[in-house]
Amino acid sequence: METLERTGADEGAPDQPAASAGGTAPGAGRPTELYVKIAGGFVLALGVLYWAVVEEKIRSTLLTVIIAVAASAGIWIGANLLFNQVRGRWQMFNTIAFAVVGAVLGIVLHGNLVTIGSGNGFLTWVIGPLAGAAAFGGLGFALAQTDDPSKRRAIALGSSIAIGLVIGAVIRDAYQPGLDPVAIVVYTLVGIAVGAGLSLLLKHPPLGGALIGAALGWVLGAWGAADLGDGSIGTSIIAALVPAVLIGLRLGMTKNPDYKARVAIDNRSRAVIFIGPALAFISVMLVIPAIRTAYLSLLNKDSVDFVGLDNYKAVFDDKNSLDLTNWTNMFTSVPFILGVILLAVAVVVGVSMQKRTGRAVEIGNPTVAPLVVGLLFVCFGAFTAMRGTLINNLWWVVVVTFVSTAMGLAIAVLADQRGGERVAKSIIFMPMAISLVGASVIWRFVYTARDTSTEQTGVMNALWIGLGRLSTGSGLPTIIATIFLVLVLVGLFMVLARMLVRYGPGRAVVPGILIVLVGWLFIRFTGIVGGGVGGFQTLPDGSVGGQTVFFVQETPYNNFWLMVIMIWIQTGFSMVILSAAIKAVPTELIEAAKIDGATTSQVFWRVTLPQIATTIGVVVTTLIVGVMKVFDIVKVTTNGQFGSQVLANQMFAEAFSFQNKGKGAALAMLIFVAVLPVMIYNIRRMQRES
Amino acid sequence: MNKRWLKLAAVPVALSFIAAACGSDSSSSSDSTSQNTTAAGEGGDFGGVTVTITGPERDDPSIAAINDTLNAWGETVNLKVEYTGDADWEANINTQVEGGNPPDISFFPQPGKLADFARAGYIVPVTDEVNTTLDEFWADGFQKYGNVDDVQYGVPAKTDLKSLVWYQPQAFADAGYEVPTTYDDFVALVDQMAADGGPKPLCVGIESGQATGWTFTDWVEDMVLRQAGADVYDQWVNHEIPFDDPQIVTAMQTVVDLWTPENVFAAGGSIAATNFADNGQPLVDGQCYMHRQANFFAGLFPEGTTFADPSDPTAVDVFYFPDINGDKPVLTAGIFASAFNDDPATMAVMNYIATADYAQTRQKNQTEAVGGGLSGYLSAAMNQDPAVYQPLEQSFLTILNASQIARFDGSDLMPADVGAGTFWSEGTSLVNGDTTAADAAAAIEASWPK
Amino acid sequence: MSATTTTLSGTGQPGPSSAGQSGGIVDRAYQFLRRIPTGVLWLIVVVWSIPTLGLFINSFRDRDAQRATGWWKVKPSELTIDNYDTIFSARAGLGRSLLNSAAIAIPATIIPIAIAAFAAYGFAWIPFRGRKGLFIATVALLAIPLQVALIPLLQMFVGGASVTLPLLDKTIVLIPDFDLAGTTTSVWLTHTGFAMPFAIFLLHNYISSLPKDLFEAARIDGADHFTIFWRLVLPLSIPVLAAFAIFQFLWTWNDYLIANTMIGANASQQPTTILIANLAGDFGRNEYILPAGAFVQAFVPLVVFFALQRYFVRGLLAGSVKG
Repeated sequence: METLERTGADEGAPDQPAASAGGTAPGAGRPTELYVKIAGGFVLALGVLYWAVVEEKIRSTLLTVIIAVAASAGIWIGANLLFNQVRGRWQMFNTIAFAVVGAVLGIVLHGNLVTIGSGNGFLTWVIGPLAGAAAFGGLGFALAQTDDPSKRRAIALGSSIAIGLVIGAVIRDAYQPGLDPVAIVVYTLVGIAVGAGLSLLLKHPPLGGALIGAALGWVLGAWGAADLGDGSIGTSIIAALVPAVLIGLRLGMTKNPDYKARVAIDNRSRAVIFIGPALAFISVMLVIPAIRTAYLSLLNKDSVDFVGLDNYKAVFDDKNSLDLTNWTNMFTSVPFILGVILLAVAVVVGVSMQKRTGRAVEIGNPTVAPLVVGLLFVCFGAFTAMRGTLINNLWWVVVVTFVSTAMGLAIAVLADQRGGERVAKSIIFMPMAISLVGASVIWRFVYTARDTSTEQTGVMNALWIGLGRLSTGSGLPTIIATIFLVLVLVGLFMVLARMLVRYGPGRAVVPGILIVLVGWLFIRFTGIVGGGVGGFQTLPDGSVGGQTVFFVQETPYNNFWLMVIMIWIQTGFSMVILSAAIKAVPTELIEAAKIDGATTSQVFWRVTLPQIATTIGVVVTTLIVGVMKVFDIVKVTTNGQFGSQVLANQMFAEAFSFQNKGKGAALAMLIFVAVLPVMIYNIRRMQRES
Repeated sequence: MNKRWLKLAAVPVALSFIAAACGSDSSSSSDSTSQNTTAAGEGGDFGGVTVTITGPERDDPSIAAINDTLNAWGETVNLKVEYTGDADWEANINTQVEGGNPPDISFFPQPGKLADFARAGYIVPVTDEVNTTLDEFWADGFQKYGNVDDVQYGVPAKTDLKSLVWYQPQAFADAGYEVPTTYDDFVALVDQMAADGGPKPLCVGIESGQATGWTFTDWVEDMVLRQAGADVYDQWVNHEIPFDDPQIVTAMQTVVDLWTPENVFAAGGSIAATNFADNGQPLVDGQCYMHRQANFFAGLFPEGTTFADPSDPTAVDVFYFPDINGDKPVLTAGIFASAFNDDPATMAVMNYIATADYAQTRQKNQTEAVGGGLSGYLSAAMNQDPAVYQPLEQSFLTILNASQIARFDGSDLMPADVGAGTFWSEGTSLVNGDTTAADAAAAIEASWPK
Repeated sequence: MSATTTTLSGTGQPGPSSAGQSGGIVDRAYQFLRRIPTGVLWLIVVVWSIPTLGLFINSFRDRDAQRATGWWKVKPSELTIDNYDTIFSARAGLGRSLLNSAAIAIPATIIPIAIAAFAAYGFAWIPFRGRKGLFIATVALLAIPLQVALIPLLQMFVGGASVTLPLLDKTIVLIPDFDLAGTTTSVWLTHTGFAMPFAIFLLHNYISSLPKDLFEAARIDGADHFTIFWRLVLPLSIPVLAAFAIFQFLWTWNDYLIANTMIGANASQQPTTILIANLAGDFGRNEYILPAGAFVQAFVPLVVFFALQRYFVRGLLAGSVKG
């Protein structure tokens, strides 16, 4: 990681002023910035206003959003303010809380025109809620006054009887229920059982739950089961009074909480207020569809017959999903052999590091480079031998996640507080702004192969054929390129020598690997082995012609070229998130470490990296999930042909194009289940760390 | 008074706003539905209702032509039509139907899917009035693909002709070649061209992004139709004979035998990697003589190419992909309109789409939209005014009318798993040389849904 | 190092990164080597920008030019703005579709941020039972492919949601039918739901790493959760809020699948993604328009990125820890 280390060194000097400049909170701002903001806001507001007047679309959207946001924000802030009173002012809290319940009840009954006197325009929304709020608020106030159990019981029961009577009496004729005793009994019993059971589960006395359950059951049985409009004022009073009394009894059993209990109420209510809205969205939009999918995955194509796990079995039985028949080929593949050699180097280096520092492998020490690269090569060798959707998916996850995160981190660190940071980051970010489909179309242009008798329009094939021409040619450019390669090799050898002399073999590993790679390129380029490098072929008449590569069509390497598209896009993602995290590392920590004499490389590995470790976890997890779910790239480029199928695209095809809902759902579940362990592991680790 | 109290007071107000919003919303929606139901019904006046149509045709001239044509007619009966093109129609229509939000009418490019929808009860049969109109303007051969279990669901709205070979008459004349009239002549011509060592006989490329392979399926279908005949073709697409029937395997083999490196110009020699749209340029550049592709390929030739123009030596023309048994079969494709409800307004639109007036008005509008060039639209409706079609388009119609046997593109009739799945992918593998014709056919047969 | 090196050598530039040696030798070579990290950075930047550059140049060339030669052989004479002209004069109306995109992307960015920030704070700093389990369950939902939710959600937007009680033949309306099918509102509501797991995940990671002392000090001063959240957590979380806002805006702006599903046949509500995809035409006949389309489409997200980038400021926490 010497590259990054140097970064730190560069940063040393300018770090100081930059940090102090950024140290002021953004809210404070400089005056000019403030004016710019105000002016910007003004222009924006004017623009929106203009739109709103001219465009019906914007007007309605704005209205919807403003009403929705204002209403939700009002409720949310109101709830917060209300529960702020719990600790200090129980009486006030109790009164208001009850009043709110009463108002809601008033809105529900009066607003839906269930009660007598409703339906008079705006007053409909005022009278009912106000009456409800007054009645319930009074009850809440009274209950908060006394701690004497018998008094409380009397208050609760008395008011609930009154409220029940009033509600029953003001129900309109059209809504008076004709009672169905069987339904009432059944629902009440079920309510009692459920309520008591829940209480027991939560380790409370069962009576309270039973009462509430009975009340709810009664309401369901008496109102839900009945034919509305068939009853009389008597039946509606019965239907309303009984649950009111039951709830009154339950209220009478409570006592005013002491301070400790109130703190608990405060915390619990906050948990609901803060997390509740998100959970509501999640359960409607994700949990229910997920359960539905799990169910569908057990049914057949048309979701009619139950087929058990057949859909899952079909996925694994398919030869296109997993084909290991040629696995022995991997031992003879070049990447595999290269990888094994690198791993051997890693072992040697590891042993020497063990002797010197006591740890064979440590983040940032020389063992890591050959180890990781070697492992990648070995896996690559294995991949060329084994085929199938599942293997492809595995590769997508490993390669895209690893490369995107590493590149994003490198760019975030390299660009941090350097001249042109914004420009550099913007360009890396640019692909994010292009949709996945758009990106796939672009890369199809990049990868295009055309007949060699015409000009190449894809930049990759143009470069490849150009390299071939350079390598097999004998003109001045070829000589210059050869000399350049020689110079690079010589330079590398000098670095290697210096490393060996000054720091021992450990530091020489990286230049060593590079020498092997560049050396191999040199040997191929000069034609000592294989006649040259690049896109060329020897034609039957002995002359040399161009030879294109079918990046998208040639199995299995096309998988990697498709992954490049995803990496091109996602690096911007990891860069932005990691950049935000790096900027959030407290300056004090870095300064303290520097004062203690840490080198910039040590600062990065020992201070910055641990500080952003959880964020790296976030990025890795998100990337894994994103990669598992991505289907656009494969769909647009090959649609899974040429051995490039992935689970998500297969799922989309089965579920939407082929109308095979069972198998589509099974594939969706597979994607979910495959990612789950990785995610849970990641999240748990992150939680431990923080 | 404490400020917090003021904020608190806002809560019930906000709540009542929501409730009010809910209340008013639901009442307005019920209003609109009642409007819809009452408005429909009266003969020549539909009270300004809107009929929504979706379909896979989505480029600007098409959308404009469809909308303009239908709305110009709609004005006479006081209804509005809104056509929306959808790039992902195949997947999206399923979601819309299952989600309970279908359009009033949709354009089906695949009769197979139309049949599925009909059997699932998603679409409704056409009324007798529409049926009468259909009989007036459409031959049985075109009607029958909108017919499911003897009930008419679909109305043909567009016709594509696939059995065409594109060539440059001048290039043929210069080399002394003649347009072949039998399949044997065609093969002999290909051999002759290959032997002469000039431009390659054929341009072929089957890459088409997510639909890679469809060009191959068209060739195979044309070949089955020629070698085995229309009856076997029908049995094949209806799965009355298995996909790996020897006659089908032979047809597949014939196609790949024809596509040898000597016969075909393709990028770097890879047919599977050559985009189907990139076959026009080499044809006009003189790198190959012929290209078998449907009528809409006219839009994929380079800008400025002229068609069926004897005065221009670079002009491109078509000839009929010759037959073997003399029965002049043509492979067609096209679009069928089908309705999701039988509201009078919807059926009135269906009825209009079935007329020749719709076809020729749309053709006229679309030709104007592309500035007088080839519209890309074609309709086999009878009694159209031929003057609205350009010379090349008229030759399409001549070929279409000369044939006794018209068969719809088989891959659009098969279940999507096959017709837009394995037939494409196994075909691509076969062209790539990764499998044999027999193995590919067997794999496709195995994937046919039970 | 490993990752950077392999990737770079893969792009045909093996030379520079090799020289990344360390040490304090003060000589000319060292001066040269010092600049290498910057060189590597700009090299990556160049490699990254090649496809975009090609796209940009091709967006000004007509179909035949794009097909005939590579973009690097562009001749000034063949530059044209016809492609842009086609898009701007699209019959479906680019202006209207941009408005629709904005009507989807803006609420779909702001609302999830607010809701997720509450939840992230709740998960991080409000003690309650089952917190960890609930958090893991919430974030695990990230792994659900959103395609599975399309049909149930569309059904909900079309007809609301209701539950039929067993035995009684009575249905209770859980979510009334707001007549949302085919509107931009249904699209941004869907985006809001789908964004939730990731937003909570990302914001929680940041908010939970804020120093504990901060909260304890505020608590001692008598601040309640609402005040702490409003006065302390929100201002300190600006970088992560900006980061999330950028991505959420991008994703919703560029979304095709959800918009296409929810809006269906309602052409007047279509966002730009659908408009441009449709311009590509049947069989990709007009695919040459897509480069120009991609830039029209990417313009707004890029502006958002530039606008929000300045919120990535080092040392937001500095003052608060000391104070």
